[in-house]
Amino acid sequence: MGEPGLPAAQRAPALVFAGFLLLMAASGAVLFVEKVGLGAAQVREFYLGSPARFTSPRSLVGLLEIAVPHLVAIPLVLFAVIHVVAAAGRLGPRLLGWLAGASFAVALAGVAAGFGVRYLAPGLAWGKVVAFLGFEVVLVAWAVLLAAVAWPAPGAASTRGRGGAQPGDQASRALDPPFGIDQQRLGSGGGGEPEALRAALDHHRLG
Amino acid sequence: MKVLVDPSATRVARARPPVRAFLGFALLAVAALLLQRASGGLLAPSEVELHYLGAAPGEGLPRAALWEELHAGAFLHGFVLFMLGALLPLCRLRPAARSALFPASVVAALADLAAPFLVVGFGGGGALRVATTVLVGVVLPATIVTVFATLGPGAAATEERADG
Repeated sequence: MGEPGLPAAQRAPALVFAGFLLLMAASGAVLFVEKVGLGAAQVREFYLGSPARFTSPRSLVGLLEIAVPHLVAIPLVLFAVIHVVAAAGRLGPRLLGWLAGASFAVALAGVAAGFGVRYLAPGLAWGKVVAFLGFEVVLVAWAVLLAAVAWPAPGAASTRGRGGAQPGDQASRALDPPFGIDQQRLGSGGGGEPEALRAALDHHRLG
Repeated sequence: MKVLVDPSATRVARARPPVRAFLGFALLAVAALLLQRASGGLLAPSEVELHYLGAAPGEGLPRAALWEELHAGAFLHGFVLFMLGALLPLCRLRPAARSALFPASVVAALADLAAPFLVVGFGGGGALRVATTVLVGVVLPATIVTVFATLGPGAAATEERADG
């Protein structure tokens, strides 16, 4: 399949998505600090209410209003970013599996911890803080990983410039946007032909 | 997702129906967003200023509400733009059109996300938010419809027939 990395045509969308992941992380952090606070005492107060501040405990409806959109959005974002990083092939399957598992676990812990503080044990407030900070790290880490796999490999352009393209290298992965479509037009339209043609081009260093 | 990094004609053809369904929903989401703003009166600069700044000093939208808007918008715009940007290379488009649509969509989205902060920061300028709403309302649907119409080998086949 060639050297790890994203095809050239997919780099800009991936970099933009990485930027939006950072925006999500930053706005999430500001919201948490603004609405809840960054200490366990503030988290307890936010979920259980405070007679001194005349605030009441969070209702189940209120907790679900926050949890439901996050239960949709967080897995969707993680699914997308992990798939793209995995497809780029720069991380080994074991490391990728571990990172993906840890990311989903931290995300779930963050959503569940609010319910835990409210209905199980106020002591779980520390868990909420740790899970929130953990998920911030997860989002930033995936944004950095995505940007890293989307960034052109150093020297790829200069190698191509010297005419030293290797089979399956970054240059050959820089798929011309309508690559598959043009290949189909070259062949008789059979399903497997485009990939066979591409393999042949790679083999002869023409890709 | 495989089709995005290894777009053979077969994969693109197979991916087209669900991708088009996704694009249909994305178009509906943009339409709903515009309707939501129109029904809230947010297509008039004075109403925008009233919404964000309030009728008197100190009555404006809380800071957290601005960040909530940004937080939700970053997810929605980020995800849709990522999908559109990833799909555009699979479309039968002139390179100039392809390289114009995606940056235009990103700029429109970022401007729309930044506009509420600018209105609050400047203490006015509701027209800016109206302008970004119009920008998003034109550029995003244009990109979505373009991807919908030109995605995949079907367009190529049509072109082949036209070429003779």
